[in-house]
Amino acid sequence: MPRYIVEVLIENKKTIRDPEGETICRELINKGGYDSIKSVRVGKLLRMEVEGSSEEEVKELVTRMCNDLRIYNPVVHSYRVEIRGITR
Amino acid sequence: MIVERPDMQVKVNLTREELEKAKEMLGREPNIVELGMIDIMWSEHCSYKSSREVLKILPREGEHVIIGPGQDAGVVDIGNGLAVVFKIESHNHPSAVDPYNGAATGVGGIIRDILCMGARPIALVDSLRFGFPSSPHARWLFRYVVKGIADYGNCTGIPTVAGQVEFDPSFERNCLVNVGCVGIARKDRIMPSVASNPGDVLVLVGGSTGRDGIHGVTFASKTLSEKSEEERSSVQIGDPFMKKLVIEATLEAVETGYVRGLKDLGGGGLTCATSEMAAKGGTGVEIELSKVHLREEGMTPYEIMLSESQERMLFVVDPKGLDKVLSVFEKYEIPYSIIGRVTDTREVVVKLNGKVVARVPAKLLAEAPLAKRTSKKPAYVEKLRDIPPPPMPENLEETLPQLLSSPNIASKEWVYQQYDHEVGIRTVVKPGQADAAVLRIIEEDGGNRGIAIKADCNSRHMYLDPFNGAAGALAECCRNIVAVGGKPLAFVDCANFGNPEKPEIFWQFEMAIKGLAYMARGLGIPCVGGNVSFYNEDETTGRAVKPSTEVLAIGLVEDLKHVTTMAFKSAGDVIVVVGKTFREVGGSEYYYIVHGIEGGKVPAADPNREKSSMNAVLEGIRRGYVTAAHDISRGGFAVALAEMAIQGGRGAEVFLDNMPREPMRIDELLYSESNARFIITVEEKNLDNFISLCRNTGAPFGIIGRVSRSNRLILRYESLVLEYDVHHLEKAWKMPIWEYMEGLRS
Repeated sequence: MPRYIVEVLIENKKTIRDPEGETICRELINKGGYDSIKSVRVGKLLRMEVEGSSEEEVKELVTRMCNDLRIYNPVVHSYRVEIRGITR
Repeated sequence: MIVERPDMQVKVNLTREELEKAKEMLGREPNIVELGMIDIMWSEHCSYKSSREVLKILPREGEHVIIGPGQDAGVVDIGNGLAVVFKIESHNHPSAVDPYNGAATGVGGIIRDILCMGARPIALVDSLRFGFPSSPHARWLFRYVVKGIADYGNCTGIPTVAGQVEFDPSFERNCLVNVGCVGIARKDRIMPSVASNPGDVLVLVGGSTGRDGIHGVTFASKTLSEKSEEERSSVQIGDPFMKKLVIEATLEAVETGYVRGLKDLGGGGLTCATSEMAAKGGTGVEIELSKVHLREEGMTPYEIMLSESQERMLFVVDPKGLDKVLSVFEKYEIPYSIIGRVTDTREVVVKLNGKVVARVPAKLLAEAPLAKRTSKKPAYVEKLRDIPPPPMPENLEETLPQLLSSPNIASKEWVYQQYDHEVGIRTVVKPGQADAAVLRIIEEDGGNRGIAIKADCNSRHMYLDPFNGAAGALAECCRNIVAVGGKPLAFVDCANFGNPEKPEIFWQFEMAIKGLAYMARGLGIPCVGGNVSFYNEDETTGRAVKPSTEVLAIGLVEDLKHVTTMAFKSAGDVIVVVGKTFREVGGSEYYYIVHGIEGGKVPAADPNREKSSMNAVLEGIRRGYVTAAHDISRGGFAVALAEMAIQGGRGAEVFLDNMPREPMRIDELLYSESNARFIITVEEKNLDNFISLCRNTGAPFGIIGRVSRSNRLILRYESLVLEYDVHHLEKAWKMPIWEYMEGLRS
């Protein structure tokens, strides 16, 4: 069975603050002289290898897992599941 | 209901009558912005429209009271030019939806309440209630509420020193998260939340204003339903590092002497802060929304006025010192904006680019019409009270370890080991060591005084008998303060109930406040503030939480050398029980855990009995007679004795026949949760002195045994002997919550 590389990107919803990103932008980047960088959002990337017979099947499985196991916090996070290729 | 306007429609929680009343008071139809402002200010959370009348019966006056209820926090004089500022508040609804962020922002909110009185926050206290930990959902809420509190509190550098955790199935979906904060201030720097002088400048300081938390308050004034899932954007993200800067900048700004009023932006946001400050000062305010520093583009006046974004404070500044105050904010690199001025119009006027978008009298917003609630005694009260006593357990010896393993009694180390309880170098008594936390008061003249802090409530007692339950909560809280060597000074309370529109729930609330008032008057301890959280019920099941009036009390320890912990100290110390045991096993942990019963007559609360016991123990501690002290409450005498043995790592031999008591069975004597009792130890040479103290105050007492050299805890009663290895008891008591959380126990 093929093995897919799947990435789950979790970040705060657009309308939700991201104090970590704000702090990095303000204290590290802007104070470090990179003024043209206006905002930073921090997220979390889960890259996984998933066995399955098709892209659709794998995507469906990972999405279900994210919701089942609360791999993200539905109150504040949005998440995106992307297929990045096949390892074999 | 939905209100239609030509350009949009808004959902408001106002009733039709309230809407009519608002129209009448305003003399015209409110526009959308005004409607939003009235809606939020007339919500239960901001207006106390159901509870205000009832709360009036609490005693508010006392020799130490500087500021009582009605401000952001209570203020109590502790002498030497210093004052203690404290408050407790609920963050139940947000925590039930998002435990981590809900609890964290609850901590953030209560810190601001203390800060805005001009005080430095020095300690946090958390009282938490969840479903029984065998439930995965309850564990999930428990785990992340504790983590949220720990992450936020630890980052701000304020130690979390005390609290309480209760487990009961009624909190399964509606957890209760009551967060308290204690601060200390110079008396001459106490800051009122008021705008008194027209011409003063309004400066909004701290986090930027975004769309988060809009309608957070109206959300808290509704029962949780399936729909809440969609309302999740009402939950906010806190920023504890920004909070730390806001704390330091605020205190430094106050120090300039040019800040004349200060209020935090919590529930109700800018609307609440401006209207309450103006209403209290008999003034008005005029603000320009284009000046407010925003986080998102295209925000409407409605959104800006209702946003509940975190870490914001509103300063009222004397124009003469404006530059000086602003330079403080610049030094800390905290965003601020000058948003308007205090006026003499008694109106809150909101402008956008010079055009008036809202104009409402401040009093209309700040003084919502009362909601008339009816009250009716629920049928369950008498039915549950009159149940017959259960049979004697077959194996009495096993019941003590069984009770020690109940999550309601077992060690809460799993919780407090996540909290930084030492940051700030004030912590004298750490969590778990004694009945209350003690914090050092740092004084210039080298004084050696401390503040004792404790929060208590037994929700099962309150459910069965709200009057005695609430009175007992205050009594227990004061006993805990006395046990560490503190004199109780004042309290604040956080009332958590179901839907007050239901007469049975409102009856619980009324009886509870009556009970609190009765005990407060009897003990001479004033109430200096509090918070009411209604609608703590699950809409789908119609189930309300067990009522809880969490009491947070503070006491003064005159000399830190008085501080007493619960651990048995030395072999040979004499063990004395102070206070009489009554046949009051109703609502006990023993009935619940061993017999699976919730019922019976709960312990009566009597201020006179409390006073005689407390006076004897406090005086005994101050004179140095007492080597260990522990109040008897949940789990009764046997559990209190076992806790002293476990903490001291040594056993004892006691004769229960010597306990002052009314006739009852041995199991009842062991586990009755009667009020007004302590177990203390004294050195033999001081025994006579201590006994004469008890005689002077009229406290019943019994000399029941001695601390032993071995690790055997032996309880004798007539011909019966119960014998335990202290290490076994310790294991039974120490592990359960860890095991639940690791999935090893269910």
